[in-house]
Amino acid sequence: MASRKRDEQFDERFLRKLDYLYIMSKKIAAGAAKAKRKTHIVGSGLEFADHRNYSPGDDMRNIDWKVFGRTNKLFLKLFEEEEDLYIYFLLDTSLSMTLGKAPTKWDYAKSCAAALGYIGLSNLDRVSIIPFSSKLDGRMPPTRGKAQIFKIFDFLSAVEPGQQTSLKDAFKTFVAQNKRRGIACVISDFYDPTGFEEGMNYLRYYKFEPIVIHLFDERELNPKLNGELQLVDCETGELREITITEGMLKRYREVWTEYCEELEEYCSKRNMLYFRAPVQLPFDDLVLRIFRAGGFLA
Amino acid sequence: MLQYTGMPFEELAPLAAGAAVIITVLYLLKLRKRRVQVPFSPLWGKVMTEYKRQSDWWKVLRRVLSWLILIMMSLALIFALADPHPEGEVVDGRHLVLLIDSSASMASTDVSGGADRLDVAKQKALQILETIGAEDQIMLVNFNDQLQPLSPFVNEASLLETPIRNLKVSASGTKYTDALQFAADSLRDKKRGELIVLSDGASFDKAMMDDVSFDENTTVRHLKLGESAGNIAITAFSVRRYLANKLDYELFVGLQNLFERDIEVELQIWADGRQVDRKLKTIKASGTLQEFFPAQAVSGERLEARVKVLTSDARDVFPLDDRAYALLPPVEKSRVLLVSPGNLYLEGTLLLNHNIDLDKVTPDAYDPQKHGEGQYDVVFVDRVIPDNLSEQGHFVFVDPSGENSPWEVSGAYKDPIITTYKKSHPLMRWIGMRDINIGYASKLRLDRKDSVVASAMGAPIIVTRDEPGRRMVAIAFDIRNSDLPLRVAFPVLMINLVDYFQLDDSDLIQNFSTGETWSVKVSEQEGEATVTEPDGHTRKVPIYNNRALVYGNQVGFYEVKTASDQQLIAANLSDPEESKIAPSEIALPDKSVVQDSSSLFFDRKELWIWALLAVLGMLLLEWVTYNRRWTV
Repeated sequence: MASRKRDEQFDERFLRKLDYLYIMSKKIAAGAAKAKRKTHIVGSGLEFADHRNYSPGDDMRNIDWKVFGRTNKLFLKLFEEEEDLYIYFLLDTSLSMTLGKAPTKWDYAKSCAAALGYIGLSNLDRVSIIPFSSKLDGRMPPTRGKAQIFKIFDFLSAVEPGQQTSLKDAFKTFVAQNKRRGIACVISDFYDPTGFEEGMNYLRYYKFEPIVIHLFDERELNPKLNGELQLVDCETGELREITITEGMLKRYREVWTEYCEELEEYCSKRNMLYFRAPVQLPFDDLVLRIFRAGGFLA
Repeated sequence: MLQYTGMPFEELAPLAAGAAVIITVLYLLKLRKRRVQVPFSPLWGKVMTEYKRQSDWWKVLRRVLSWLILIMMSLALIFALADPHPEGEVVDGRHLVLLIDSSASMASTDVSGGADRLDVAKQKALQILETIGAEDQIMLVNFNDQLQPLSPFVNEASLLETPIRNLKVSASGTKYTDALQFAADSLRDKKRGELIVLSDGASFDKAMMDDVSFDENTTVRHLKLGESAGNIAITAFSVRRYLANKLDYELFVGLQNLFERDIEVELQIWADGRQVDRKLKTIKASGTLQEFFPAQAVSGERLEARVKVLTSDARDVFPLDDRAYALLPPVEKSRVLLVSPGNLYLEGTLLLNHNIDLDKVTPDAYDPQKHGEGQYDVVFVDRVIPDNLSEQGHFVFVDPSGENSPWEVSGAYKDPIITTYKKSHPLMRWIGMRDINIGYASKLRLDRKDSVVASAMGAPIIVTRDEPGRRMVAIAFDIRNSDLPLRVAFPVLMINLVDYFQLDDSDLIQNFSTGETWSVKVSEQEGEATVTEPDGHTRKVPIYNNRALVYGNQVGFYEVKTASDQQLIAANLSDPEESKIAPSEIALPDKSVVQDSSSLFFDRKELWIWALLAVLGMLLLEWVTYNRRWTV
């Protein structure tokens, strides 16, 4: 274990904290057995899920004849497909995540991914970590079992920050490469100049269950800026000459809040779990908050 | 219109042009803006889009306003450098002499706003300093019975603040003539000369000012201090011991009433810090009182007289002369040896003197080891002179004769009559030697070291001789063979003889007057003595010819200490003129003296100060507008 190369972020203490989080998750989400969690994918399982209209080519064995007898219409019985849960952690590696003094959003995102991944592994789910910026920056294949946590640690430690954010391009590639549906937990600051909707829609349309963890730094919200400045976008390099006043700072906070609320509204309207957390919040608090909200392990 | 006394326009014009160009260039140059990385600039873009809705011409106007503020600031600075004054204002600097009286009368407390007159004078002087213009030059002079210039003419008035604050009352008189003449000389041929005298004018005598002449264009101003003349003064205080009884003393106190009505006073006598006597007296209006305190058998060394006004509605405003100091001479008994085969007159007279410890021995029993050098202050040798008489000491030879006599005797005079004697000689103090009947007197052969005190038709009757280590007096006749013992002069002569050898004529220890340089006798020939003043300060004074030269301006006891001895002296305010504290106006024979402070305080419009304030105001405005982003 000692031979593994990991940065100090994932040390023994961190691991102990993950154990604690796992125990806490047990309390929060009762019932845990091997492959007991189900996807919401409707398939060939045993447990009835729903009806739908029959379409030519459907398996005739699944036609509900009793309903046909009552309604004289062909309905197909749907069953929940029981299979291992796939959890994909889509980790934003763009430059905006690494900007500023420690703790950066990047460090925080890795801690969150490791914590949630550990709990997933402990529940014998299949966990995969996929860093992205404008493209996918590598991939840790789905893995299962608690012992694989060190693989996650090693992978996260080796991930390098990427460049510009493009959720659309990255998630388009993601859905194309990952046919197994599952939870897609997006950990990002969502600073995408082209917007976040298209990217998130890709996940939705391809039947992934997106969970949004929106990270921000309170120092971004209250920047100590004043006077004549040239603002440089850390990802695009775009220059903006500006004279910052108190009024502008106030307006900036309003615009930022509007942007966040827009993202939150988007998620809530589409039944997507949304968590917003500042990096100043201890990551274990965030993780517990996610569990309390349900959905992640339900 | 304005007149300018600062930098000339030829120099200011290029300065102004340069400043304007530099400011303009700086404004035209684009400000180098600080680069700051932000995580997501589109958010800022949105904010900027909203703010850009403000019109560009307003932005230009704001920048022009900022430029204008800086241009105006530089112009105001140039204006200040030109030192503008209203037309018609006198801008030439003045030469001021500030003459501050620190004599004893300035300790009077009849003032409001200060502890005493000098305190008020200092406050007024400091006020005057605040009004000094940049072109003015001022000299500070302190005067009492001495003149002390504390500075030359200086521009920087603040330099004089400390010397003014350090001024102290000197218990001494006032020499107005010297001070005014010095001021007149200092201001002679000076442009816009002005003398300001801060004094009470007490005891000022215009008649003494005939020789004081000021320039025609010099202004003389007197700011009179003080209001009252009410004062009771101790004008004399001395102590002496009785001639016949050195254990008793007699005090003399002189008081003066400077109120214009009768005043009841309490006179207290203190010895070594303890009150030993008290008397209630009434002194007539403007009168004096002289009082003896006989038979004061007080113990102690330091005597002090204090006077206190008892009349309820009278206030003595001058405390310096309410106390006087004197020293009691120390009581020392003289050790006297009488070597005589028997002389009741001599023995009886010496025995009756309380201040003499007398031993008696016959010539045969005289032992130089026992009775010799250092054992006695005076040795009386009556007629028979022992062979082994000591060669050192003080001797009185009564009718000396024989081979051991210091004086060769070459016969005798019969019935000599004393015709001549030195009245001022210490031996002859308080006595007359005429009409003494003498049976016979030895004919003494005189030496060149001899001095004749009394003689009979040229024949020496009483002779003194001073030799190294030995002083002698010879009385050339046997007192038993005269009527001298029956005379009043006889016991006095005996005392004089004893005192003569002890150099003890200090029945009255001399008191010193403040404001003078005292010559205090000390044992050292030269060098330095340490003087401790009444207020506890010590200083070194020089010694020349066994005299320490001490200048004192405080009343009280001084201690003069040399390497080998230590003595006390008392100093009093003994100038009755200084007790006359009634303030008066200073007047000069050929010069009018302004008696108030009108037009003294500078009425000069220093516009450059306002220009600088305007610069500061504009700087503040620029700072505020810049930091609030109104002008950027």
